[in-house]
Amino acid sequence: MIRKHNFKEIGGSVILYPNNYINDIEGEKLEEMCEAFLKKGVKKIVIDFSSTDLINSIGISILIGIIEKVKERKGAILFSGLKKVNHDIFNIVGLTRHIPVYKTEEEAVSDLKWEDHAAV
Amino acid sequence: MLEVDLSLERLLFNLNTLAELGEEITSPKDFTRVVKSSLYMVMGSFAASKGAIFQYDSEDQRFNAIAAKGLSDIKGAGFKLSKEAVKEIVKFNKPIDLKGDPAHAALLGPAKAELEKASARVLAFLVVKDELLGVISINEKFSGQDYTVYDFQLLSVMAQHISFSLHSHTLLTKLMHKYTENKGLYENLRRIYYDTIHAFAAAIDAKDAYTKGHSHRVSAYCTVVAREMGWSPDEIEGIRISGLLHDIGKIAVDKSIINKASPLTSNECRELNSHPVIGYEILSKIKFPWKGIPMMTRNHHEKVDGTGYPDRLKKAEIPLGARIMALVDAFDAMTTDRPYRPRLSFKEAMDEVRENFGKQFDPEVVQPFISVIRKEVLGEVENPSIVPLLQEHLDSVTVNRLLEGFPGIS
Repeated sequence: MIRKHNFKEIGGSVILYPNNYINDIEGEKLEEMCEAFLKKGVKKIVIDFSSTDLINSIGISILIGIIEKVKERKGAILFSGLKKVNHDIFNIVGLTRHIPVYKTEEEAVSDLKWEDHAAV
Repeated sequence: MLEVDLSLERLLFNLNTLAELGEEITSPKDFTRVVKSSLYMVMGSFAASKGAIFQYDSEDQRFNAIAAKGLSDIKGAGFKLSKEAVKEIVKFNKPIDLKGDPAHAALLGPAKAELEKASARVLAFLVVKDELLGVISINEKFSGQDYTVYDFQLLSVMAQHISFSLHSHTLLTKLMHKYTENKGLYENLRRIYYDTIHAFAAAIDAKDAYTKGHSHRVSAYCTVVAREMGWSPDEIEGIRISGLLHDIGKIAVDKSIINKASPLTSNECRELNSHPVIGYEILSKIKFPWKGIPMMTRNHHEKVDGTGYPDRLKKAEIPLGARIMALVDAFDAMTTDRPYRPRLSFKEAMDEVRENFGKQFDPEVVQPFISVIRKEVLGEVENPSIVPLLQEHLDSVTVNRLLEGFPGIS
């Protein structure tokens, strides 16, 4: 069953909570959601993966799509709550080289260096 | 191209992607979705942000985009390659690095610039049994890292997987195209076949000024009675065609005999009565897709008491279809004008049927015939075939009164 991804808006930022799997093209809904927030003027996006058990190659492709869209709008994006298996995958494909990854959502939001680190 | 730096995690990730790709391309999902998912898997494996899959059309030597990600306005996009380039690419059959392999990249000719406009860095051609089916194009890695030897090997394996999917789809499309083409031809033949039969029926009826439409009416009446008797659709179609052709033997009978108003001489009578046998001889030479048409034609003037012609058969010896035809043929003859008398009313015709019940007409056929008429009068039939052609108003009260006391009818 495809569940709708949850989100929380804080000021001009949004925290997205993807479903437990991002492993097929239904995951594009997350990309569409980000696009909608960017169009609304939201510039800072945190994606918290603490409920996400699996991200495969399709999921990576979708996340790169999201990052590219944020880049086009000169926005910022952070990741948080990555489980080890997903962190390893992000490392393999080189996502962690460019996107700051925080242990928790709170850390990501409260990081004073947010703007400096997150701009892509 | 960088040297390989393999970790266990990377191997597992790529192995998992290959397993998922295998599952995807053998899934019964819609082809467009399979191609899209396959492209995403390739792009995700190399962290590419722009990519496309093009299908090769060998007729116009053009690659047409069938899936894309990260590229805007890819609809209708494509490029052409020369026959020589295609031949060389098939022979090489390895991914081409547009940046790092200028020798092979040059094979693309003007298409190279077009692909570079779409940010292409690496191309993996889709080839099955020396047949070029398409190409996957991906851009630089998002991470900024360069492609490794291992990446090219992995891309090559993934391209092989996707090639098989594209190959199966191409075969299926060709098969469907052939099927549609053959279906169209068959439909045409079928139409010609039916048109010919209808033309024959019209030719038969044209000989007799009084029996215009007789063959069509007999055909329609046979059809509804056979349906009432629970015949299969194939058997019903057989008797429908048989009804159209049952008087085909009249083609050989002199027109003056058919249209004669005064009583026929014995010679004329013999000639007219020869039409079932002549019809049988004509129709038995045709290989119909339905059984029994020649015999129904031959025996449609037989009577269940054995006094009919040409074979003087008794009830069970007469094919059931011929017994149905004997009743509806006589009924239509009675309820239409003839050179020697005006048409009978429904009551008069049914009195004749009652008079000849079990003699000329088979009770097993008369019963469903009456049942159909009743249903048509009560409006229980969507497209009535008999009652509207009787040129008189029939209601249920009249019909029930007329059929009262009819042998075997409750």
